Amino acid sequence: MMPAEARAARNRFLATLLCVVVAGAIFPSVANRGLVFIAGLLWINVVFGLAFNLLFATGGILSFGQAMFYAVGAYAASVLSLRLPELPFLWALLVSGLAGAGLAVVAGTVALRRSEGVYFAVLTLAFGELLHIVITKSTLLGRNDGLNGIRRPVIDIGMLHLDFSAGDAFYYFILVVCAFLVGVLWMVTHGAFGRALLAIRQEAQRAEFLGMPVQRYRLIAFAISGAITAVAGALAAPWLQIVTPDLARWSNSTNPILFTLLGGSGFFWGPAAGAAILSVVFYTTRTLAGIADLATGGMLLVVVLSLPGGVLGLLNAVRQRATRRHSGTEAADG
Amino acid sequence: MGLAEWATTLVNAMTWAMATFLVAAGLTLIFGILHILNFSHGGFFMIGAYVAFTLLTRLGGANSFSAYLLAACAAAVVVALLGALVDRVILQRLRRVEDAYVLIATYALLLVCEGGTKLIWGLGYQSLQPPSPFEGAVVVGNFAVPAFSLFVIGAGLAVFAGLEWLLGRTAAGRLIRAVAMDPWTARLLGVNVTRVFAMTVVAGFALAGLAGGLLLANQSLSPELASVFIIQAFGVIIVGGMGSVRGAFLGAMLLGLIESVGSYILPDLPGLLFFAALAVILLWRPQGLLGRERGT
Repeated sequence: MMPAEARAARNRFLATLLCVVVAGAIFPSVANRGLVFIAGLLWINVVFGLAFNLLFATGGILSFGQAMFYAVGAYAASVLSLRLPELPFLWALLVSGLAGAGLAVVAGTVALRRSEGVYFAVLTLAFGELLHIVITKSTLLGRNDGLNGIRRPVIDIGMLHLDFSAGDAFYYFILVVCAFLVGVLWMVTHGAFGRALLAIRQEAQRAEFLGMPVQRYRLIAFAISGAITAVAGALAAPWLQIVTPDLARWSNSTNPILFTLLGGSGFFWGPAAGAAILSVVFYTTRTLAGIADLATGGMLLVVVLSLPGGVLGLLNAVRQRATRRHSGTEAADG
Repeated sequence: MGLAEWATTLVNAMTWAMATFLVAAGLTLIFGILHILNFSHGGFFMIGAYVAFTLLTRLGGANSFSAYLLAACAAAVVVALLGALVDRVILQRLRRVEDAYVLIATYALLLVCEGGTKLIWGLGYQSLQPPSPFEGAVVVGNFAVPAFSLFVIGAGLAVFAGLEWLLGRTAAGRLIRAVAMDPWTARLLGVNVTRVFAMTVVAGFALAGLAGGLLLANQSLSPELASVFIIQAFGVIIVGGMGSVRGAFLGAMLLGLIESVGSYILPDLPGLLFFAALAVILLWRPQGLLGRERGT
């Protein structure tokens, strides 16, 4: 049995997700192809950001190496698509996710020895850079040039034959898979495991005294985040149709951090809101060198210095003040 | 390996070590006193390099040694002034914010540095035109040491000696160390902690600008320069024990040796041994060579 409050929260989540998916599904009929391309990346970035926030807000660990999972997923999907074209794409997604989880376990085992903010951040950053070096030196992975000509897949499930290779069709596939991944992340965050992580975040020592395997929980959270991020990367590869070693750089690792902080790390949908805002910023400043960096950096500074709840926190505060004033006037009337 | 190869490897190691130490010095200084890991350090290093470059190309004298040194000092002053501004506007407001958010704020500052650099100096690559003051090499027997390597090694040793003297032998240094150890008691004893913090930030930024100017001659300048040295510098201060200048110096020498031997044994995989060593050293000594566990 689920308590009424939890059921209400779940229903609210499902309603929000449904609205987002419907909006996403309508989008291609009102926008041009360039914008649809950006929207496809936005859904991938939403998952990228939410998977980071599972670590950051729920697990209390700051990873500066999310790009390594994204890159591992993207490269795994690309290599499979180029070398084993007969392998169904859903299998490729699964393999990418497993690769991301495996990498997370290896990197996490070393990096979690110093899980306090700064150390973990720099260690994960170093792992990402290490992966970048390995990619640029590996012929299988196309060295500095990366891999190109990645086809958008055709998927056969039983009687169902879905061809995503033409036009924007793959956009809908991205939308559906990302919605599924967001659902998984919501369940992880709000289930027993997420609550245990939150307890560890708030009182690591007390949780340890109570017999919780703190380090193992953190490692599992890192693996889940790595797996989901890798699947997001695997979706990006056929959408971009090219993967380059830059995907593994720390500048890519900072993307989910930007999404999360800007949108509000304290809200489940915070990273999604942040990703949407930054998509707009990048789209409008794409021809002005330097302005995009200045705008992103400036916004981030404003958020950290004076809006720790992010944009959603600001909206929430405004709404609460409005409700309070509203109920205040009602009380005065009565 | 023959004798000449050993010597070359050693010179390369020391050059790498001292170049990285020049960048890491300000980083570890600020971390040691304020407990802020400053991501934007690389950005201000880059701005220092651009400032020195602009001075040398606009005012001429690109091939005079003293002009080169003067330009580096000017870069240090400019970046130190920026540091005073950054401390006033940003860092002072981050004192009560969680570590993770402080780190992200300094990353935001790095983005601002990169954006500003792109706007002011453009996206292209630039470099000092060859007659730079460091053409040629010093020949010892049948072995040649590039003049610029000697210069970098000398500069690194000089900055290390200067910092050791400043922190260990002067009143200001004692004050800084006292504040680092226990800011609360220091404040109680009438020390203006905010001012000591501000001084430290200005000194750390000046070191970033100085490093940018000193290392200009073998760099090609581009807005990506910020992240080239910063990863190495992070590695060095983690291995050395964060916040310790001596640790950074030792860490730089150790990683320099590893990096240099690595590029001799595995020339196809530059940097691989550096990261592998970083991971191994951390598994063995998570607090770094000269670091202490936090809270003890």
